Amino acid sequence: MAESQQPETALDQEFETIDLNINIGPQHPATHGVFRMVLTVDGEVVVDVTPHIGYMHRGAEKLSESLDYRQAIGFQDRTDYLGGFNCELCYVQAVEKLAGLEPPERAEYIRVILAEFNRITSHFMFLGAFGTDLGVFGTAFTYAFREREYIQDLFEEVSGDRLMYAYFRPGGVAWDVPSNFKERVRWLTKQARVGADDMDKLLTDNEIFIARTRGVGVLSVEDAIDYGVTGPILRASGMDYDLRKKEPYSIYDRFDFDAPVGTNGDSYDRYLVRLEEVRQSLRIIDQAIEQMPDEGPILPERLPRALRPAAGEVYMRCENPRGEYGIYLVSRGGTQPYRLRIRGASFCNLSALRQMTIGHYIADAVTILGSIDIVLCEVDR
Amino acid sequence: MEVNEGQTPEPGETPEGAAAEPAAETPAAETPEAVAAAPKAAATASVPGRVPAPQALVEAPVPARISLGVQLEAARLTPVELEHPKALYRSVLPGILQVPADYVIAAARKSSLWPMTFGLACCAIEMIATYMSHHDLDRFGIVPWPSPRQCDVMIVAGTVTKKMAPAVKLLYQQMPNPKWVISMGACATNGGPYTRYDRVLQGVDKIVPVDVYVPGCPPRPEALMDGFIALQNKIMEERGRTG
Amino acid sequence: MSPEDRRREQDAPIVPPEPGTIADLFAAALPDLAITPNQGALDVILIVGRDDVPRLLEAAKTDPNLAFDFLRNLSGVDYEAEGIDVVYHLHSYRHGHDVTVKARLPADDLHIKTASTLWRGADWHEREARDMFGVIFDGHPNLVPLLLPDDMDDHFPLRKDNPLAPLEEWQGTALGANVGEAGHIPAGSGFEVEKVEAAPETAETAPEAAETTPEAVEATPEAKE
Repeated sequence: MAESQQPETALDQEFETIDLNINIGPQHPATHGVFRMVLTVDGEVVVDVTPHIGYMHRGAEKLSESLDYRQAIGFQDRTDYLGGFNCELCYVQAVEKLAGLEPPERAEYIRVILAEFNRITSHFMFLGAFGTDLGVFGTAFTYAFREREYIQDLFEEVSGDRLMYAYFRPGGVAWDVPSNFKERVRWLTKQARVGADDMDKLLTDNEIFIARTRGVGVLSVEDAIDYGVTGPILRASGMDYDLRKKEPYSIYDRFDFDAPVGTNGDSYDRYLVRLEEVRQSLRIIDQAIEQMPDEGPILPERLPRALRPAAGEVYMRCENPRGEYGIYLVSRGGTQPYRLRIRGASFCNLSALRQMTIGHYIADAVTILGSIDIVLCEVDR
Repeated sequence: MEVNEGQTPEPGETPEGAAAEPAAETPAAETPEAVAAAPKAAATASVPGRVPAPQALVEAPVPARISLGVQLEAARLTPVELEHPKALYRSVLPGILQVPADYVIAAARKSSLWPMTFGLACCAIEMIATYMSHHDLDRFGIVPWPSPRQCDVMIVAGTVTKKMAPAVKLLYQQMPNPKWVISMGACATNGGPYTRYDRVLQGVDKIVPVDVYVPGCPPRPEALMDGFIALQNKIMEERGRTG
Repeated sequence: MSPEDRRREQDAPIVPPEPGTIADLFAAALPDLAITPNQGALDVILIVGRDDVPRLLEAAKTDPNLAFDFLRNLSGVDYEAEGIDVVYHLHSYRHGHDVTVKARLPADDLHIKTASTLWRGADWHEREARDMFGVIFDGHPNLVPLLLPDDMDDHFPLRKDNPLAPLEEWQGTALGANVGEAGHIPAGSGFEVEKVEAAPETAETAPEAAETTPEAVEATPEAKE
């Protein structure tokens, strides 16, 4: 119950109002998936947010326990389907740490190049979806998907699938890349730069875009760390922490790139951070494609037919496009994982939604949800 | 959604139990609908691999934490399945003119299918990619539309979990006739890679009637276009039989 | 897990870490606590008793030498009769070190104090652990189902005694899988496979399935019924 603010009139009435519960989801046009939030609003101002998740809980962790280590790679793609290669990379590295496998050089470069391209496609999807949420209905999406299609063509040439690759293996990659890989990559980096500039011109200095995102959904660094928020959101809040630089995995320590850091922690900064990450990923790819050996094995020579990592556990974390993606793998010496816990980046990022949304308007709730850039399959697994 | 006493809920009873809008914290008046729907499910009991028919459902208690606004809306928003009406032209036109009218109307319907944007999971990305410029579904007259009230076809793209099933059923009921369903991807067909998990509905055809199944994980945009073309052919074929 | 894996199952040996790791800092901060350090593949794992966990986590967060401000992950691992492990993965932004904390809960008393008073991010992790394993976190502000439907939390999916459903029988013959090996199927769950009189086409396709999938010898006698 709240009193509405009335200017002093002769009547000087007090109105009794009821806080209204507005249900958004689980089906809503912003294609973030099946997410439901119940906003308690007082007039137009959001007073409370109750997120309801679990509409996409499909038991990937449980199903992975019944599969081989190699078969479980398929589920990793489907967890964060926009950053499939990054999830696969995290998982195969976890298995490699337990099994004591070392991927050869060429395989490492292939993995990094594909993972960074996947980061670019994921960020393009964010740019498209974010613009669409804010009202650029269609244009942002068409721009974004133009670039995604070009890069997905490369994915299809290399792995055979546009979205669910299952290409990485513990120890390297499944098969070698086509012979024109380097030319294709060089052409694509040029193309992706053009695409990033197009999105930049469309949105960055757009007056309406700035008005709708600046100052909306501010998350302080202390809150972000407390909620376990990672990735572009944490960097937009001001914390310079990128797992590729601070806890380097694979061969990321060989590349020279920056992790963009924001200042305010609002939605506009999150957008800028992701846009700049696209350009930094292109820097990494340029360096990687120069350094990549032209020939070489892509799997270790002696690979066991049935992979039985030694008993033990590992928590492998990688920098997904959405944040820190963690795989906690417990092996008890068998061919199947004993416990495969997926720490999804969006799961932890979404828990800060309430903190970010309270005090804003209803329309801002959609903006903030879009700026977190969640993938529901990663939240619910 | 309700639970039988002493039994875990079965996938077959999910739609009958959840007739009310998911926005309401619990359904208010669903027992009559549940009882009416139970005989329909009994027919599937003897088919091999199908779940057994559900037993009578208990009435769900209304928890106290529903806000007043939602309680007031709950009764009004309970959906009711309407009978298929007879199209106006069937009662107005003489029989000799109904055959060409069928043809024209079916051609109009198939050329302007408006799907509801109902992307659930990974297949949604390929569905969006099919709408976008590279593969372009707009040239078929297919315009994604967020509101179920103005849609013709529902593309169930992604896994339907048991938590989500009532919402899917409700949205299907909210669509006006004639309506069709395309089940896109392996998960919507039979549960897909997640079929063995007991919180996943093994196929959306357990709660809504499906017209076209598009296999794939995820199906390529060309495959989804093929599914739409198959649906268009189906609409033309059954032109005399649709209301 | 397959019967083959069950026979080979073993626990990892506990390898004490080299001196100079985070375990020494913990020993200095909490000298009276019984901590078993273990060198894992990436981090140091501290194994403590269930009742010592609140003190340990509090020290991890507040002690200036430790300063673990980031709870990366909180999960459970089911060890069946021996109990359920609750595993915390912590990271310190200030010092840049990580640690893993493990505590085993006895199978008949799955209670542990919540960590959500220390890190707000633990809130959702603990709700999920309750959904999946049934671990009750005492002091949690809102321990309601998170991922599971509200009325379907009668059994805990990630426990080992809740196996996955077997593939349906018709799927079994088509794929050559060994049907019925999933273990116990709870009665009334809807996953019991009804053995019906085979329609004529099943008898015809069964020999083809047997030829194409020689490994699925056990499936064929069931398919022929």
